Amino acid sequence: MFDLLPHLLNGLTLGLLFALIALGFMLIVGLMEQINLAHGSLFALGAYFAMQLMGSRPPFPAELVKVWFAMPLGWRYAATLVIAPAAVGLVGIAIEFCMRRTYGKDPLYGLLLTFGAAMVIEETIRLVWGTRDYVLQVPQAVSGGFLFGDLIWSTYRFYAAGISVAIIGVVWLVIEKTSFGATVKAGAHDSEIVRALGINLTRLRLLVFVLGTVLAAIAGIIVAPIWGIRPHMGVDAVIPAFLVIVLGGVGSFWGAVVAGLLVGLCVGLSGAYASEWSLLSMYILLVAVVTFRARGLWGKKSVLEA
Amino acid sequence: MTITPPPSSDATRLVTPAMLVLWLVLATVPLWIAKVGLYPYLGIEILIWSLYALAFNLVLGTAGLPSFGHGAYFGIGAYAFGLCQFNVVANLWVCLVAAFAVAGLAGALVALFISHRRGIYYAFMTIAFGQIFWTLAIKSHGITGGEDGLLKIARLPADFGVASFNLNDNVAFYYFVLVLFALAVMAMWRLTHSPYGRVVAAIKQSETRAAHLGYNVWIYKASIFTLSAAISGLAGGLFAMAQLAAFPDVMSLHQSGYVVMMTLVGGGLVSFWGPVVGVFVFLIARDVIGALTNAWMLYFGLLFIAIVLFRPEGIAGAVSAAFQKHSLIRRQGNSAMRLLFGGERWR
Repeated sequence: MFDLLPHLLNGLTLGLLFALIALGFMLIVGLMEQINLAHGSLFALGAYFAMQLMGSRPPFPAELVKVWFAMPLGWRYAATLVIAPAAVGLVGIAIEFCMRRTYGKDPLYGLLLTFGAAMVIEETIRLVWGTRDYVLQVPQAVSGGFLFGDLIWSTYRFYAAGISVAIIGVVWLVIEKTSFGATVKAGAHDSEIVRALGINLTRLRLLVFVLGTVLAAIAGIIVAPIWGIRPHMGVDAVIPAFLVIVLGGVGSFWGAVVAGLLVGLCVGLSGAYASEWSLLSMYILLVAVVTFRARGLWGKKSVLEA
Repeated sequence: MTITPPPSSDATRLVTPAMLVLWLVLATVPLWIAKVGLYPYLGIEILIWSLYALAFNLVLGTAGLPSFGHGAYFGIGAYAFGLCQFNVVANLWVCLVAAFAVAGLAGALVALFISHRRGIYYAFMTIAFGQIFWTLAIKSHGITGGEDGLLKIARLPADFGVASFNLNDNVAFYYFVLVLFALAVMAMWRLTHSPYGRVVAAIKQSETRAAHLGYNVWIYKASIFTLSAAISGLAGGLFAMAQLAAFPDVMSLHQSGYVVMMTLVGGGLVSFWGPVVGVFVFLIARDVIGALTNAWMLYFGLLFIAIVLFRPEGIAGAVSAAFQKHSLIRRQGNSAMRLLFGGERWR
């Protein structure tokens, strides 16, 4: 039993990361009923921006670079966690402006539009940074490992899991406990009435979409030191994100979190016995669940089924 | 009350004028393709991908089912062709039937799991199964050769009993693929315009309404998916012959996305020929823009976004809309003439 413990813990931390990756995707799908296939590319873009900021040549004017390097690594990392997602948010604004034309039409259009956007972003990444792998520097405090029970544990995994829990908590608070969240949910439920109440739904949707892209970028920065930075990381992220949402059920916050944990455990445990096939396990899990439960674990009825 | 026009007479034909023109044009391709700076192999690729995209469009365009993992069946067809050749019998017809049947079987298996789902859940189940098959293809080194692919697949001779043709030459193989393409197009045209095809189209409009009219929606959804997978597999088998190998690459999510893009860019949602138009544009753009810049996917992606935003009916739809305006004017002119001169005499 004790042999299994590391794999269980590993699976749990992985599950929290999956939940974090799916979070932005879930916001957009749950509150706007739009599938953002560019989620993975925005995730990758966040990681690349962070890598550029933390690297030896940050994209600043010369005077600012001096100030930047005068700061300790930890501060620079903290600043990166704010600047890079904000920059990705700008890309999100551009996508949302295009996406507006598809609201009210078949959700297939939004999906295809974001598929095109994903392709454009991924190609741009290849063009700017090439196809080689990069490593994201992290502060000393969260890197390295420690000994516990005769095993070496990676500090960063626990830090990443902690951050994931914190961000999931904050997003939950924003959606469930603020008037912003209430309006957004009402807008998803009945856009006509919300408009009639004098609420600027266009701006609200923009905000939700940008929040979703910012979350994608943050997830990218958090996950980058574990998965590495390469052009393909976007696809590696968007598929599990999509899977977690479908498994958890569209429109269910805790469904997505639980599904993320389940997928993580599934991949972690199957990795212990058959590492070659560990990625297959999550698809089999999905097929097993969706075959019997039409809308995933706790999904609600939505226009996406029509 | 509006009177719906009778279905165009083309719908009842086995071979339409459009098909004849297309085949005649395609038959001349080997004569001039080298002169315009392209190469005969591109012609083969266009035909095979057109077959694949037409088969895919049975699901997306005709039945309105979002399938995003169709590359799996194309790939399964390719592997089935190679494995049949190595392990069963090295006969062209047997191997092509194997490609068709094995991909159809895989499609039927998947259809069992997904045919009672709709929308996003349907879409993601197809992705999930696509990824499962792709992972299987990559990880089963012993059977498929893993990432290196299944190599040394031969272009078997086409044996008709009385005469046998060697297909090793690209031009000979091109004509062989063209004949199969023509037969498959006829079959698919008849299918989409048959009573069966009309029910499938009705399911696209409204699954609930079709079910209330007494049609067994599940059977129709499952059968059209299976058939589409089988024809995709046949295209895959031909592709294995063209490439002399089968690679897991065609089964990846990216490649499955390409066939969706080709179909939509061409206008598969509104026109039978849309997928073929899309394949032409995609593959020629790949070669022409790709010769100028490495980032041709970037420009194609931008084109794709523009089409989704401004011309969701695709190239074929835009063209037919332009024609429609013209023929509408003509029709109005005709009916005015009829009113003036009374009756059918003047037509």
